[in-house]
Amino acid sequence: MTPGTPAGRAGQHRAGQDRAGRDRAGQGRARQDRARHRRSPAWSSPARRSATRRAEARAALGFLSPWLVGFVVFTAGPLLASLWLSFTSYDAISEPRWVGADNYRELAADPLVLKSLGNTVYYTVLHVPLSMALALGLALLLVAARRWGPFFRTVLYVPAVTPPVAVGVLFLLLLNGQTGLVNRALRLVGIDGPQWTSDPAWIKPGIVLLSLWSFGTTLVIYYAALQEVPGHLYEAARLDGANAWQRFRHVTLPMISGALFFTLVVNTIASLQMFAEVYTMYFGTAHTSAGAEEGLFYVVYLFRQAFEFLDMGYASALAWLLFLVILLVTLVQVRLSRRFVHYEGRR
Amino acid sequence: MRTRGALPLLVALLLVLAGCGGLGADRAEARTGFADEPVGPLTTMGYSLPDEVARVRVERFRQRYPAVDLRLNEGAFDEQQFLSALASGRPPDLVYLDRADLPSFAARGALLPLDECFEVTGMDLAEFRPAAAAQVRYQNRPYGVPEFLIVRLLMANRVALADAGIDPSRVDTADWGRLEAWARAMTRSSGSRLARLGVDPKIPDFFPMWVRAAGGDVLSADGRTARLDSPQAVEVLEMAKRIVDQAGGQGVVQAFRDGWDLFGARNPFAADQIGLSPMEDWYLNVLAQNSPRAPVVVLPFVGRDHQPLSWATGLAWAIPQGARNRAAACRLVREMTTPDAWVAAATAKRDARLARGLHYTGTYTAHVAADERIRAEVLRPTGLDWLDEGIRVIERAQGVAFALPASPAGAEVKRAWEDAVTRALGGRASPADALREAQQRATAALARVGAR
Amino acid sequence: MGAVAEVTRGGERARPAPPERRRRSVGGVVAVVALAVCAVVFTYPLLWMALASLKPRSEVFEGSLWPSTFVWRNYVTVFQEIPLLTWLLNTFAVAAAAAVAVTISSALVAFAFAFLRFPGRDLLFGLVLATMMLPAAVTLIPTYAIWDALGLTGTQIPLWAGNLFGSAFYIFLLRQFFLTLPPDLLDAGRVDGLGHLGLFRHVVLPLSRPALVISVVFELKASWTDLLKPLVYLQEPHLFTLPRGLKVVLDRFGQGGEMRWDLVLAANVLATLPMVALFFAAQRYFVRGIATTGGR
Repeated sequence: MTPGTPAGRAGQHRAGQDRAGRDRAGQGRARQDRARHRRSPAWSSPARRSATRRAEARAALGFLSPWLVGFVVFTAGPLLASLWLSFTSYDAISEPRWVGADNYRELAADPLVLKSLGNTVYYTVLHVPLSMALALGLALLLVAARRWGPFFRTVLYVPAVTPPVAVGVLFLLLLNGQTGLVNRALRLVGIDGPQWTSDPAWIKPGIVLLSLWSFGTTLVIYYAALQEVPGHLYEAARLDGANAWQRFRHVTLPMISGALFFTLVVNTIASLQMFAEVYTMYFGTAHTSAGAEEGLFYVVYLFRQAFEFLDMGYASALAWLLFLVILLVTLVQVRLSRRFVHYEGRR
Repeated sequence: MRTRGALPLLVALLLVLAGCGGLGADRAEARTGFADEPVGPLTTMGYSLPDEVARVRVERFRQRYPAVDLRLNEGAFDEQQFLSALASGRPPDLVYLDRADLPSFAARGALLPLDECFEVTGMDLAEFRPAAAAQVRYQNRPYGVPEFLIVRLLMANRVALADAGIDPSRVDTADWGRLEAWARAMTRSSGSRLARLGVDPKIPDFFPMWVRAAGGDVLSADGRTARLDSPQAVEVLEMAKRIVDQAGGQGVVQAFRDGWDLFGARNPFAADQIGLSPMEDWYLNVLAQNSPRAPVVVLPFVGRDHQPLSWATGLAWAIPQGARNRAAACRLVREMTTPDAWVAAATAKRDARLARGLHYTGTYTAHVAADERIRAEVLRPTGLDWLDEGIRVIERAQGVAFALPASPAGAEVKRAWEDAVTRALGGRASPADALREAQQRATAALARVGAR
Repeated sequence: MGAVAEVTRGGERARPAPPERRRRSVGGVVAVVALAVCAVVFTYPLLWMALASLKPRSEVFEGSLWPSTFVWRNYVTVFQEIPLLTWLLNTFAVAAAAAVAVTISSALVAFAFAFLRFPGRDLLFGLVLATMMLPAAVTLIPTYAIWDALGLTGTQIPLWAGNLFGSAFYIFLLRQFFLTLPPDLLDAGRVDGLGHLGLFRHVVLPLSRPALVISVVFELKASWTDLLKPLVYLQEPHLFTLPRGLKVVLDRFGQGGEMRWDLVLAANVLATLPMVALFFAAQRYFVRGIATTGGR
């Protein structure tokens, strides 16, 4: 094993850095980095290598121990425990009592499970594509605005740092059908806006509207991805006579498909767990409004079962159903991504 | 290798953290009985100090029992917070909650019966108005001590009445057909924007009062049978739906209400946003404070038989199962509800009001003797006819007020009718269907409690 | 700073070459105008919130953006009526503890994944990444049961102590950064006789400041804005964090309460302002963190 000159290796690493640093899909590059890394400890003689290696593994155990303990105690343990709890009746006061599949039978017959799942899916199906389209559109504008791009990126990201509870409170006022800012704006263009916070048919669209306001993270991801599309690809496409739409369709989209896929998966998972905003808006002391039904999202229902009605066994069954739904949706998305995501020759 | 320290360190840290918790739990073991000398920390949940009436009485308690360290956790009673405090074995010593919910908690074993506290302090439920006393009794044992008595009356906006050519002296709630006509005549709107809501029936909030006005009941006298789908209940909901629909529907009305400055100078009566609505008695106080010149007339709420009636509600003190400082909790409850304390509190409130040039319209408790003394010793004419008439209407309403029977599933029954009303007003079910479903839910809840 | 500049510059380099300069610059102007409109639309709600919190109470629902008179007293009242100062300090303490805990522990773990050889490393790292996808709701109840068994529910400890065990997102972020460090420096450290912990403390950490700041900043934000955990673990108002407190404020002073929207909005502004300030102070770290990991 002969290490290259220090300068050469450093150069190699810098090149790797840029790629690894921007590598949102992560895995592919990481493997290369590790391969390179394995060559580097060259100070040990072959005789001492195995002893060093054992010592190194012991050291690694020490460094990893926080995560290992955390994984067992706060991730894997609870994951299995919640599966077990889902077969019990448990109120956090007395010991869990085994009830077999009762919770799952109840779950199948509970109209509120279907209602809350329906609300959540409705929201996800609207929120995810709309926020992606909005973010992509604005990211393209940011690129076109050239040196103004970073400035507008900053401004447009600000809503994303607003605490979700504050967003809920704010939009309760903005969306008020009689006096809210949204309907005032619509009235300016001659539209008699709906009652976003009190008409059952419009509560969920109102929540989707709210969710689009804090799309900043997705925007920043797309902007970064767009900036990495090599200029020569556009050049080549232009020479081939591709128009703007064709360049977008055949150069831009494939080149940022990794970012699109990543945001699709992450935003879907987050949407299916939407909680703080709806809970703030529709589950307070004034809970008689239609919001209690239309704003009943899945995790809100789970939370109420667990911590308001102290039916933690049932809530655990709800949690596992959610887990399976998310797992299934993610697997389907990964499956589909194989057809659409372009990995720049990585696979 | 110097790296192996991390794991033991983390484990040690966890143990230390656990130790802290354990220490807390140990301290928790000290308990006082009702008859003990009241000392030490006393924690409450659900009670705030918004005005003199609360502050003066709490101050009296602090002076009388300096050895008690009273810690008020201010803010409204939160069922979730209470149940999780109970579950974690650290309940407050005293809670202040809606009397309608009290039997539910008592039935679940979340509250202590107070016979011993009554005995030690010489308290007697007979001191309190029957409508309030009945609400805190469960299986013939007292579980709470009532504070205020809230009744409902009718408030009308003279400007709106005049606009619609309605004679204020003829306004009442006996004829529902006429009520709907008035609602149409007083409502002002453009497109889906409401400028004035003609009649606000205040449903689901006041649903039981309207059902009583139609000659029905939402619960049987023993609190064990729900009657949510009675013809009277259906009739109430159909009437309310017609009134709400003519104003643009539940969505519009709800959003309009959400924009009211209910407790300010631009309240819906002063801002001409409402025509006629049943209101809680304390709203007279709000109006007296914020808009004494508002064109309001206060009238009794009457049933379809033209007899005045009113629905009484209120809050009560109760001591949770597992409360540690029962002695101090029991003494606080007693101190807060003696006639002397009430009179001192009402006097302080009156004087504070008068000092700011505002009107005082009375303090209405669930304690019979206290109310009599407040009327005789504290209350004086305000000099404004409509306020003085309002005070007389409140006093008459107290005499005819009914309370919902104590029910071990009171909270669930209430939720059932609230949901049904919301669904029906929102057009997602017919009134009859919504109430039929509510009746099934309420009956199931009552059966579950009965089986316990 | 260097890294952000690099990303930006890299982007500029990568942008399509401009053969038709005039059309492009017209396009640029259109884009800037369109973005300006969007920027106004997206920041208007925050501006409205800030100004409405200074309105007299009866004006909150009126259309005008500008208050007829500025009622600075709303902010005095909100501190009198609500233990807002306590909540601010609680939130800050919890967020700081959470951020420091997660950064140090995640850095330790990331160090092992970046620089140490041990059997099953790839597998374990895959496991770390997989936990990022695990919905928090699934582990919520047993985690509550653990803290409850330790007698720590009703305290602020569960809000941050879980972070002592690292978090997949930050482990990934820090490992990615560690891999970019020049190996000669590490070798030099080894030659100087530093052990792994010494390398970690004296070489890797000082060189990784930008990544550590990203981690601190992200966790500050995540912890500051979280509602679910405080809702689950805190019962006593004097322990509340701001989001939990805001919920109380909304219930007491907003809908179904006293309808004092001026106060509700003032509290809202006070909860939001520190986050906006943090973002402007550390925006390059926000942008870089999101760009390297895809953000959360």
